Amino acid sequence: MSRSPRPATWTALTFAAVGALALSACTSPASGETGAGDEELTVLLISSHEGASQWLKDEYEKKTGVSINPVIVPYDEIGAKLSLDQQSGANTIDVAAPWYVSIGDLAADGSIQDLSEWIESDDEIDTEDFIPDIYDPYTLVAGKRYGLPFDGDTHVLFYNKEILERNGFTEPPATWDEYVAQAKAITENESANGVYGAAVFGQKSPLILGASFANRLAGFGGEFVGADGKPSINSPEAIAAAESLRDISEHALPTPAETAFGEGNAAWFNGKVAFIENWTDLGVGSQDPNTGSLVADKWGVVTLPVGDASVESRASLVAGFTWVIAGNTDKTELAKDFIKWASSSEVNEALLTSLPPTGIDPNRVSSLESDSYGEQYPELQEVNRATLSGALAWPTGENAGQAAQVLVDELAKYLAGDGTAKETLDRVQSEWEELLG
Amino acid sequence: MLSLLVLGAFPLLFIIAAALSESSLGRPFQEWVGADNITRAIADTDVVASLVRSSVYAAGVTVVSVTLGVAVAVALHRTVGAGSVVRTLLLLPLITPPVVVGIVWKLIFNPSGGLLDTVTRFFGYSGPPLSLLSSTDWALPAIAIADVWEWTPLVTLLVFAALLGMDPEVREAAALDGAHGIRLFAHVTLPAIRGVIGAVFFIRLVIAFKAFDLIVLMTSGGPGQSTTTPSYLIYQAALQQFDVGRAAAITLLFALVVTLVTIPVAVITRRLQQ
Repeated sequence: MSRSPRPATWTALTFAAVGALALSACTSPASGETGAGDEELTVLLISSHEGASQWLKDEYEKKTGVSINPVIVPYDEIGAKLSLDQQSGANTIDVAAPWYVSIGDLAADGSIQDLSEWIESDDEIDTEDFIPDIYDPYTLVAGKRYGLPFDGDTHVLFYNKEILERNGFTEPPATWDEYVAQAKAITENESANGVYGAAVFGQKSPLILGASFANRLAGFGGEFVGADGKPSINSPEAIAAAESLRDISEHALPTPAETAFGEGNAAWFNGKVAFIENWTDLGVGSQDPNTGSLVADKWGVVTLPVGDASVESRASLVAGFTWVIAGNTDKTELAKDFIKWASSSEVNEALLTSLPPTGIDPNRVSSLESDSYGEQYPELQEVNRATLSGALAWPTGENAGQAAQVLVDELAKYLAGDGTAKETLDRVQSEWEELLG
Repeated sequence: MLSLLVLGAFPLLFIIAAALSESSLGRPFQEWVGADNITRAIADTDVVASLVRSSVYAAGVTVVSVTLGVAVAVALHRTVGAGSVVRTLLLLPLITPPVVVGIVWKLIFNPSGGLLDTVTRFFGYSGPPLSLLSSTDWALPAIAIADVWEWTPLVTLLVFAALLGMDPEVREAAALDGAHGIRLFAHVTLPAIRGVIGAVFFIRLVIAFKAFDLIVLMTSGGPGQSTTTPSYLIYQAALQQFDVGRAAAITLLFALVVTLVTIPVAVITRRLQQ
């Protein structure tokens, strides 16, 4: 005869399980490393920059003997992590590389230092060499410099040559209408085999869906903010950009709403999509056998399509990251030395071609035009030159992060079938006028 | 008393103060703005919709979880002693980290080769990929399925413990009097454990209101706003937009709604226990 467990045992187990659940709900994430001695710097970076962080750690330690403790967080948590670290008094972070759009909010909160005087007085930084369309948006808020550019990060259009050939296309699209037409044809022809016309980043995040919209806004000749400094997000160009984004969603890898970097890049590396808008460093990864890429030597890259064939393609500064120094660090001088070195031409040039891929794009004219970059990745060098003339940047300054989120929330509703592009962007315009003035 | 102040009063006062002030993540309480944050939150259709959505979601998953959990607990009780492996397996969702639960269910619902897609095609479906998580109608029910899978074992565990605590002689006497099956459950078992079921319903309801991790991992609140709950809006406002004042205002509204929904449940539970 089998014996059943005693009620008291089960009751005890039950309370133990409930207690464990309650405790697990109360635990906080592990705090980052603490900056120990004078010869140590704690550097906060996003997960996409993990490869770069290892390179920077090794090389800086080799060069100076100073230890670097990289703290890696998801891309959408770096601003909050830095701000909470400073506001709480923990002050474990010395240097960080957040999204450039968040610089205004971090500055307003006192989480980062005003570096204007130092940058102006230190000729070795060679600010003239930074790509002009990147330098100001990435570092300047209300006339003050809060950092130095780290990762250029503009999108370009990658295409799979084999898929285009199979479907009778001899050239990649030059306009967004051609892009939709080609993607539609490819999806109709090959979706039964799991191959689609395009992977479209559509997950509801400023760095994902916001990037897809910004690419089209640049191509249709629109701006986030007009020359008078006021929002212009409901312009005819912006409306055309939103409509173009909805047009491609129907023919994209299922489904754009679920597609973030991981899903989109995996489909690209597996040869399952003909087009993907991505950062130029995707080309480095596409050639790297360690990424599991099946598209090595089978891809091409062009600048982003445009709304009208008569218009020149513009780069869109969809992401982009800036070196900043934490507001309360007591290692300011060491931090300055590190970010001066990490944003230098020699470091940027090395990161562009380093393997395994570092996820870094050009931030300086000299590294963009360097022989090493041109020899190894001539196509990437060519498309990256688009950043040299009139790139589209997100609004910066206080509330810029909130403005980006408002746009993305409304776009997500529009792509889910709620209302027209004009109604959507009119709502955004109204909220932006309040947030950005 | 001190612990009550620290654990209860301080966070509440902080939230109220933040809701009445202009507060950012790095600089709380910059300026008192009265009820501005609260009135703006009430006027925000996304906030109101999320409160309604969260209430409907919580009620739905609670009813399903408690019904399933009680059924499984009763079935387990009947096989007590012979099903220790089954009982252990049933606890698996409960001990699986929520992050893993979200990732697993996202993969199951993946329209490109996910389990659901594979199974439906195996049985002859040849239409476009099933994309539950990108459907404004199906995304929330899909998250609810994962939620029910994750938390029903807790209900089972608590009800099972109550069943084991019952005096077996009562059931035996009822059985001798001819009560079996549904009649035995309805007239003997259920009255004996209804107080526990009520308490479990209350706990499950509160857990369902707090749904956050599954939403972040599976849909990021989309498509559109169709899976955006107050918890997700609070996270966005505080940690992505640095607007702690708005986050606190939504928190207060959310607390009010949760209180209004849970008070009747608490009252009914108390009566059932009596």
